Amino acid sequence: MPGEKNRLLRVTEGLVALIQGFWTTFIHLFRKPITEEYPEYKRPLPPRSRARIILTRDPDFEERCVACYLCSASCPVSCISMQSAERADGRRYAAWFRINFSRCIYCGLCEEACPTLAIQLTPDFETCQYDLLTLVAEKEDLLVDHGGKNQEYNYYRYAGVLVDGDKGGHIQEARPVNLKSNLP
Amino acid sequence: MPQLIIDRREIEVPAGTKVIEAAARLGIIIPRFCYHPALGSVGACRVCAVKFLEGPVKGVEMSCMTAAQDGMVVSTTHPEAMEFRRYVIEWLMLHHPHDCPVCDEGGHCLLQDETVSGGHGLRRYLGLKRTYRDQYLGAFVQHEMNRCIHCWRCRRFYQDFAGYRDYGVMQIGNRTYFGRFADGPLESPFAGNLIDLCPTGVLTDKPARFKGRRWDLERAPSLCLHCSLGCNITGSARYREMIRVEGRLNEAVNGYFICDRGRFGFAYANHPERARTPRLDGQEVTWEEACRTAAHRLTRISREYGPGAIAVWGSTRSSLATLGVLQRLCREQGWLGPQFFNSPSRERKVKAAISRLDAGVAVSLADLEKADFLLVAGADPVNEAPMLALGLRQAWRRGATVVVLDPRPVHLPLEFEHLPVPPGGIDLCLDLLVRAAVSHSATEGLLPEAAAAFFNNLSCEYPGDQPLQDRLVSLGMKLKESKNPVIVCGLDIVRESTVVLAADHSRLLRAAKDRAGLFYLLPGPNAFGAGLLSLAGEPSSPSYADMLAAAEQGRIKALVMMETDPFRTFAGQPQFLAALDRLEFLLVLDYLPTPLTDRVQFFLPTTTVFEEEPSGWVNQEGRCQQAAPIYVGGRPISQEGAGSHPPRVFLAGIPGGEPQPGGQTLAALGVALKGTGAPLYLEELDTWLAELNPVFAPLLESKVTHPGVRLLPEARGDYAFSHPNKATLRDVPDDHLELLLVDWTFGTEELSGYAPPTQEVEQPPRLTMQSRDALRLGLGPGDRVSLALGGESITLDLEIVENMASGMMVLPRHRQLAGQKFPEGPILVPLQNIHKV
Repeated sequence: MPGEKNRLLRVTEGLVALIQGFWTTFIHLFRKPITEEYPEYKRPLPPRSRARIILTRDPDFEERCVACYLCSASCPVSCISMQSAERADGRRYAAWFRINFSRCIYCGLCEEACPTLAIQLTPDFETCQYDLLTLVAEKEDLLVDHGGKNQEYNYYRYAGVLVDGDKGGHIQEARPVNLKSNLP
Repeated sequence: MPQLIIDRREIEVPAGTKVIEAAARLGIIIPRFCYHPALGSVGACRVCAVKFLEGPVKGVEMSCMTAAQDGMVVSTTHPEAMEFRRYVIEWLMLHHPHDCPVCDEGGHCLLQDETVSGGHGLRRYLGLKRTYRDQYLGAFVQHEMNRCIHCWRCRRFYQDFAGYRDYGVMQIGNRTYFGRFADGPLESPFAGNLIDLCPTGVLTDKPARFKGRRWDLERAPSLCLHCSLGCNITGSARYREMIRVEGRLNEAVNGYFICDRGRFGFAYANHPERARTPRLDGQEVTWEEACRTAAHRLTRISREYGPGAIAVWGSTRSSLATLGVLQRLCREQGWLGPQFFNSPSRERKVKAAISRLDAGVAVSLADLEKADFLLVAGADPVNEAPMLALGLRQAWRRGATVVVLDPRPVHLPLEFEHLPVPPGGIDLCLDLLVRAAVSHSATEGLLPEAAAAFFNNLSCEYPGDQPLQDRLVSLGMKLKESKNPVIVCGLDIVRESTVVLAADHSRLLRAAKDRAGLFYLLPGPNAFGAGLLSLAGEPSSPSYADMLAAAEQGRIKALVMMETDPFRTFAGQPQFLAALDRLEFLLVLDYLPTPLTDRVQFFLPTTTVFEEEPSGWVNQEGRCQQAAPIYVGGRPISQEGAGSHPPRVFLAGIPGGEPQPGGQTLAALGVALKGTGAPLYLEELDTWLAELNPVFAPLLESKVTHPGVRLLPEARGDYAFSHPNKATLRDVPDDHLELLLVDWTFGTEELSGYAPPTQEVEQPPRLTMQSRDALRLGLGPGDRVSLALGGESITLDLEIVENMASGMMVLPRHRQLAGQKFPEGPILVPLQNIHKV
């Protein structure tokens, strides 16, 4: 009967496939695993991967952040808030600076918006917490003691706004105009 | 009327209109830096270039310098014009610093906007950037001259529009510098407008420095409450804190500008000591409990002693809703009051003034700028209502004559005739001036009968001062030639007859000239509203002092104080505190941290004009305007976090968000008092007001929209004259000096007295007198004098001036002088009470 023969063939084929599959699995028992065990092994991430946010310092070890509100304006989830203030010497700084990491989506727009290279995203992604309030980071949690991805840039050398010394001392600036003289 | 086509759209404009303005009428905003509608064109920035395709002018031209003419075809988007503008912006940006992140203008900077929209991105010029040294310009304005693009707006406003000379331009060409000759505070009380005018960040708001970017602010159209003019402002709040006020355009009131008191006096709303929770016997309570307890205690007192044992005080710094509900509550309950004015003479003057204003004579501040003769009687504009001084200057710039009849040393930023006559002499001066002006109409029988009768009663000599009389008559000749005279009358120092006489004279002038205006200055931002309610409330309420005496005698058992600070009136009077102690129930509702809020057992917080609900205010010409709420209220985050970050807690409500609008609280109290049958106090307020005084009827017909609704009766054609008993010239004995209590721009006004920026610029109080009087007393310049007043004495610096009336002393109602007793009415001080210290 042709039907009888077909069934025998199908059973044989099934058995072969079964044995092949188990064989592959069996062989893999003796192979070296390629899975990296997290958290026992922590793989180094590329420096530009986007996770925990930091506030960096300029080469003079001053806070780079001038609290210009551009990061909070660009943040699509409104997780950045701050209050700008004036230091005794006239330098603008953040009186407080808060990032709510429970809201942050690590999109990196704040870093792109930052004109002073102060706010930067780092590869450190291990920020999970059980209590939401512990995910609210203040300035002291965010501020680091290095320049992050750029160690050289110092915004206040280009700004033209006086912090100390006389006007005209910044990069690409002429001496200040003398109002009481007609000489060029 | 030239017809032209701008961007394929046709428009007809009055002759002389510039193309930039014609385009604005079509809604096309051509880029501009130097052009400003209030300041006109100067052609300094070259950024308003447009292409003229057809007509009398051809090619790329400045739209602010070219008058619209027939047949012009203009393209604002022609590639040639756009390329020109892009180059201009690139030139303007050559020296502009790289400091937008630390610049306060960033976010609402015209230069930023035009640079981005003009297409300029990268700086191609590699030369050095020009720099300037900045100056200290006082507590209000921050100077950062590197950012300047030389549009000249600041100088044109400061010197041409406002008339002050200490800020201007120095150097030439690329080195042009805008500033003062030396560091120092700007002298003009209008200097804050430089902040609004500067198209970039050269002049920025110092008190609001670094507080926030424009995109983070809660902004709403609001009103200035720092005098009676009702200037329009835009208020900005952030993090539950009022941080900034800017001028807002209202063509009928203030134009584009406001004064510095209005701009920097708002911080009372953020005062750290402001009480923000309902408080009963030292305990914080809920609103329900507070209303229930208040209603219970008031009902008990009313039952035991009669409703007349409950008195109500209001003030002129409450919104119309608050005043209206207060009045209705008193009517319904039979309570004594409400009394809105802290002195009976002030109440009588306000009532006299507003009952004589009608749509025919009342002029707005904008109308006043078009007058050609301004007769200022008993007003010191810069000190009492600063924007009036700016209005007078605009009239003067158009050629008007300004005559000031005032005993004080009045300073105005314009050339004016100051006749320093005592308050008793103002009536005579008005008579003489107007008599000289309308004599020909009277003699030729052109006046209506009533006006002729009034004319015949006018005084015709100023006894004992022939030169003054001659001067008045010659000024009267100028008044005779004028076509649109306006009488400005202050209410503060004048005798009661002057208020009435000013109205009579404006009617007489109107009878003689068809056109004349009347402009009063009232005490307080809602004095007009309070006056309208007082006029309707017959019999009139007893004065503060009478009620206090009744409380001392035990006839008044309960006092409700609605947004009023009696310490300003009765400070230092022992019987005042004694009377308060005798009360069984004292309920205080306020939004200011007055000395009373700490003392009372029962306190209910109310909101400021900036919080929670829209509020109506009636300015001194009867214009009812609405202030929109700016933010929801609550204690500022800066105070919650003590300067650092806000607390990290989850909260359901707003911290310190308990204050309610005064009217709402009173309505709740009314419901608690009357139970379920209580009327809808707030919802039916306009109907009730219109029944009370038909002048309120316009509130029913239309919503209060920009530029406001005038609550004035129709012009009366019958020229009803009042014929007041004129003040006598010699009403001060020779061995006395009259003490005038006056207002200053800074330091005397109640609300701005709680604002740190305005506190910073106020000068310490000083006594001012005329050199002849100083000589009589043996006093010299720089002396300190002690002045005995009502059993107490105060010590002050003496200022000796020439340009004031003799027989007078001028003392500001300074907040630093609190604790002094200022009696009611003209204060006469015997000479022996003034000593050198």
